[in-house]
Amino acid sequence: MSVSIIHTLRVLRPAATIVLVTLLGLIAGFYANAAFFPGTQPEQPINFSHRIHAGDNEIPCMYCHIQARRSISAGVPSVNKCMGCHNEIAVDRPQIRLLANYWDAKEPIPWVKVHDLPDFVHFTHKRHIAAGIECQTCHGPVEKMDVVSREAPLKMGLCLACHRKNEVEHGTDCWTCHK
Amino acid sequence: MSTIDRREFLKLVGAGSVGTGAGFMLAETIKHPLEHLIPYSIPPEEFSAGIDTWYNSVCGMCPAGCGISVRTREGRAKKIEGNPSHPVNQGRLCALGQAGLQVLYNPDRLTAPMLQKGERGSDTFLQTTWEEVLSSVAERLVVSRNRTDSIYFLSQGVRGHLAKLFELFMGGLDSDNLWHYDFDHPHSLYAANDRLFGEQQLPYYDIRNSRYLLSFGADYLNSWLSPVHHSLGFGHSRQGGDGPRGRFVQIEPKMSISGAAADEWIPARPGSEGILAMGIGHQLLAKGRYTAVDADDWRAALKDYSAASVAERTGVPAETVVRLADEFSRSQAGLAIGGSSAGNHTNGVDTLVAVNMLNYLVGNIGKAGGVVFNPDPVSGPTQSRQANYRALQDLVENARNKRIDVLIINNTNPVFTLPKSTGFTEALASIPLIVSLSSFMDETTVMADIILPSHTYLESWGDDIPQPGVGFSVAAVSQPVVSPLYNTRATGDIILDLAGRVGLRETMPWSSMEEYLRDGWREIHARSETDGENFDSFWRDVLRSGVWGENTRREGSVVINKRVIDNLGVAEPEFAGSEKEYPFMLHPFMTNAMHDGRGANLPWMQELPEPMTSIVYGSWVEMNPATAKAMGLHDGDMVTVSSAFGSIEAALVVFPAIMPDVVAMPIGQGHSALGRYARNRGTNPLQILAPMTDSASGSLATNATRVSLVATGRRSDTVRTGGMARQLGRDIVQSTGGDATAAEHSSALNSIPIVVEST
Repeated sequence: MSVSIIHTLRVLRPAATIVLVTLLGLIAGFYANAAFFPGTQPEQPINFSHRIHAGDNEIPCMYCHIQARRSISAGVPSVNKCMGCHNEIAVDRPQIRLLANYWDAKEPIPWVKVHDLPDFVHFTHKRHIAAGIECQTCHGPVEKMDVVSREAPLKMGLCLACHRKNEVEHGTDCWTCHK
Repeated sequence: MSTIDRREFLKLVGAGSVGTGAGFMLAETIKHPLEHLIPYSIPPEEFSAGIDTWYNSVCGMCPAGCGISVRTREGRAKKIEGNPSHPVNQGRLCALGQAGLQVLYNPDRLTAPMLQKGERGSDTFLQTTWEEVLSSVAERLVVSRNRTDSIYFLSQGVRGHLAKLFELFMGGLDSDNLWHYDFDHPHSLYAANDRLFGEQQLPYYDIRNSRYLLSFGADYLNSWLSPVHHSLGFGHSRQGGDGPRGRFVQIEPKMSISGAAADEWIPARPGSEGILAMGIGHQLLAKGRYTAVDADDWRAALKDYSAASVAERTGVPAETVVRLADEFSRSQAGLAIGGSSAGNHTNGVDTLVAVNMLNYLVGNIGKAGGVVFNPDPVSGPTQSRQANYRALQDLVENARNKRIDVLIINNTNPVFTLPKSTGFTEALASIPLIVSLSSFMDETTVMADIILPSHTYLESWGDDIPQPGVGFSVAAVSQPVVSPLYNTRATGDIILDLAGRVGLRETMPWSSMEEYLRDGWREIHARSETDGENFDSFWRDVLRSGVWGENTRREGSVVINKRVIDNLGVAEPEFAGSEKEYPFMLHPFMTNAMHDGRGANLPWMQELPEPMTSIVYGSWVEMNPATAKAMGLHDGDMVTVSSAFGSIEAALVVFPAIMPDVVAMPIGQGHSALGRYARNRGTNPLQILAPMTDSASGSLATNATRVSLVATGRRSDTVRTGGMARQLGRDIVQSTGGDATAAEHSSALNSIPIVVEST
């Protein structure tokens, strides 16, 4: 007579199936979220098109993002700056009217951040511009986008790969970015 | 394979759905939170996202008037440092000054004008509009100005143009009752300087260049006059110069921080410091150190202060008196300063005259390392407005007699800092209208009918002339470093608005404090050597550097008032309460963190350990170990401290460096208002003080109250960062041995038993 544990296990089979199906669901749900709701292209309060400004009209990035070369943050233009042109240009378009409404109310436009780093990362635009890095390296071809989306993953691997490739001094030290 | 029945199938579908949902939510939760990029509508001129902007201004946390540099980013103040170009603090700043940010961002700030809707003091305020409060205040002012002197204005000590603005305003309202009230204003020091030198202002004590400093009670490194400046001088005298290292002697009944930093700490009976100074003066003359023509007059005036008699009256051994006189006159520049506890007795002015006299006797007036007189301030009120205790008693009396219609209070808290026995709080009931200009709901503001919330100093325009000065002319402009956080207004703007409403536009035509300030500074521009620089660029320069100075020093020598010699003498201090019933002399002391209580609503200050005991949060009573042992009291016992005027409870702290018949309590805690951090924490020793005054200056003798201590039987351990006071052989505190004289005389000091209880 042989002793088998198969019989014992068979009793557990329904439970095991349930656990397995739950786990599969968990994985499927996780990736479904990442695939269908990536959050890399959030809706903005005004349908501002970088393609029209930076692409078609060839306005340099740093005409509006004026702080990029001298500050840690690139800065978004003030409503005042937008109105500098849009007092005259395309004033009757609905999206420009939206802008004018903000201006008349003297309220800021609550843009949604597309490119965002966690607070424990110290990133400075100034240094990267000084090193001659193109904006597109991290931000993607913004001048071709009607709605800006995050193309690069902006994870640590991306930073390190670039720092290694360009042989940045102390580029892989922890404290260079995490200070 | 077994077939799946319906029940099994439903189970699996359920499991799959739950799993998918959980997986989806998991992915959702680990996503970076949605953030916004909020641009300015119209950015300020100097604004750059991500780049610091520093503004120079003036610290408003205490009357010292240090210059500050505030780091701002994206329009928010982030850090306060000392302004390196300001001669008072030269880039340094004390803990209280650093904590100014917690005044600005305090969650308990008053955010809008308010009207008292319930019973006075019930704290049932309703928010309203500026228009409503200002028009109702103005209405009442218009009515009351017809009754002469029925409008009272009690402000915190202000200087410069704001002080002038108050004068204009009250002058326009035909009332002479404009008073400044600061708890720590050194009335007796002002009176002593006036009596001896005929000076209305404080001189500059040049600690930096002194090589021998004799401090009579003045806690100059912690709370006296200008502690940051004194600390700089102290450091320089100790190790900054090429010459010999400065020597510091501190004379006081309870060791303060300055006492702990001194080379020698000499306990003298509370209130007897002046007698000791007279004793030293006696020795100086006896040894022939003073040889001017009037030496005989001085000798006659000081004849009763022989070393033996002084030793008996002060508890300081005769040989110590002789030695101190010797050291004081022998060293290159002996400087004597006096204040804090020594000036807060019934003989305070006499004491400080005696201390100042020592500087005169060794010829140390108007010299480097001595007492240097300041030039006249470039701007300010026409007369001193500081209210001494007598003036406040008059205010109480007038209120009781219904002679006050309107009381305007600006950012001062007499309900907290005046003893209960003054009757100030009760007298407020007889005043029909109380208006408070304040940033916080403090004990006095709670009693108001109308609250006009004022900006903090980081949001307002103003200027300041440091008092005491630094030997030459200095003035500084205080500018807003952030835009106002709430619906508050600057004190100056409120006054100007009210002035317009009561018909004073003609004498006060300015639309804002900023405009008034600029206007006033045109005078300073006119007297400055500017090489034809126009006013606008001069003004920008002043704002940028944060300070204006002029190398004008006081011309000519100061002559001593000869009549002083005839009236020289220090009476025995008087104390309220009999020695039998109240065996201890109460020594309330200020700390840098709490100041007069204004630091209590700042969490940083609450958690800053008091340096001598390392206690954070709460109040305590310090007692000599020998006395504690005799009374059977231990560290942490809750005791009731009673004077003839009330009693309070606090935990006992056994503290070796205090005289056996003295108990000390820190000032500043024990608030019943002032917000969540201050309220219901510790006790306020000022409440039980007796209304004893120094008749010569009319100021409150805060150290002239006797108390008794009774154990309650309960215990409450104080929160300390220091653990224990003993070294357990670890040799943490190393001594350099000191000089032979100190060792020799430590035995003579044994009149004060310093015993550390073995635990």
